[in-house]
Amino acid sequence: MSSTVAPADQHHAAHHPALRHHFNTMAQQKEAAVIGMWVFLLTEILFFGGLFVAYMIYRIWYFDAFAEASRSLDLFWGGLNTAVLIGSSLTMAMAVRSAQTNKRMATVNWLILTMILGCVFLGVKVIEYSDKFEHHHVPGPNFVWASEHPSAALGAGEAAPGAEGEPAPAAATGHRQLSLTPDQLQRTTQIYFSLYFTMTGLHALHMIIGIGLMSVITWMSWKGKFDAEYYTPVEMSGLYWHFVDIVWIFLFPLLYLVERHT
Amino acid sequence: MSDHVSPISLYITIFTALMVLTALTVFAAFVDLGQFNFLVAMLVAGFKASLVVWYFMHMKYQSHLTKLALAVGLFFLVILLGETMVDYASKGFTPMPPRVNPDSEFQSH
Repeated sequence: MSSTVAPADQHHAAHHPALRHHFNTMAQQKEAAVIGMWVFLLTEILFFGGLFVAYMIYRIWYFDAFAEASRSLDLFWGGLNTAVLIGSSLTMAMAVRSAQTNKRMATVNWLILTMILGCVFLGVKVIEYSDKFEHHHVPGPNFVWASEHPSAALGAGEAAPGAEGEPAPAAATGHRQLSLTPDQLQRTTQIYFSLYFTMTGLHALHMIIGIGLMSVITWMSWKGKFDAEYYTPVEMSGLYWHFVDIVWIFLFPLLYLVERHT
Repeated sequence: MSDHVSPISLYITIFTALMVLTALTVFAAFVDLGQFNFLVAMLVAGFKASLVVWYFMHMKYQSHLTKLALAVGLFFLVILLGETMVDYASKGFTPMPPRVNPDSEFQSH
């Protein structure tokens, strides 16, 4: 141990101002930050993992309901948001690279661009959510599953939700013959939308936190707090942002593309 | 500084690959592959996530310890998903008493 302590003491007078006393070198400090951030992200992976497990089980149980409900989402907005988020990951990677290469203004600009793309994503999400409210696709007392099926509208609409224990005899006619009656669809599509709002809502919350983090980092970059030797906060925000991107990479096919053929 | 600075061209390549894979996953969803639609979607998403982790998140240049930490996390994610699915799939292995009312699953009233 003493051999590693000695060089740090030698350079103590001239060490980087960002080097904390309990670290010997900047590289060691960086390593500690990176592994700490990854451990945090692993807890996040398992946090979202629990939601994915719930999704998997209900998807197997009520696949037809999931397929029907998934088709009601607008693929244009979902695809656009995927592209926007992947684009923001690129700009975030460029922000970190600019910090690595000591380009202060480029770092600030790339971070601002990343935040703008994040806001575009959230704006699209607002459009999608308000559409869900308009169509009564928000789980709860006002939920009505009647979009494409006149029979479903009659069975599960304003007439009598539930029809008091007597499922409608005719199965709803969708893109193909469904195994669920309109009454069953009314109940099981709510499970899909509960998961949809929980998963995309928590993802959006992570994006809002990410934008908040970035606004602080942008301000610090503007003030010249970072250089090629010390840019750890920029890289840590980048790791967080890329993680949020990865969650969406899985959410997009799971929520929007359950069964688009036929 | 020992930190690796990736060339801009690499980032552009990864970005392009991610966009192409997104288009691929949308295209594949409209083709009827039966049971394999889900598998294809998850394989493509997994590959996209790997590209992000490896290049955008610089995992390629991290220490073995950091890589191990990620591997441990993914291991527990596999346990979470895998064991739950095994439990779910094996529910039918043991004989069950016959269902009294086949519609009872949907009768919440």
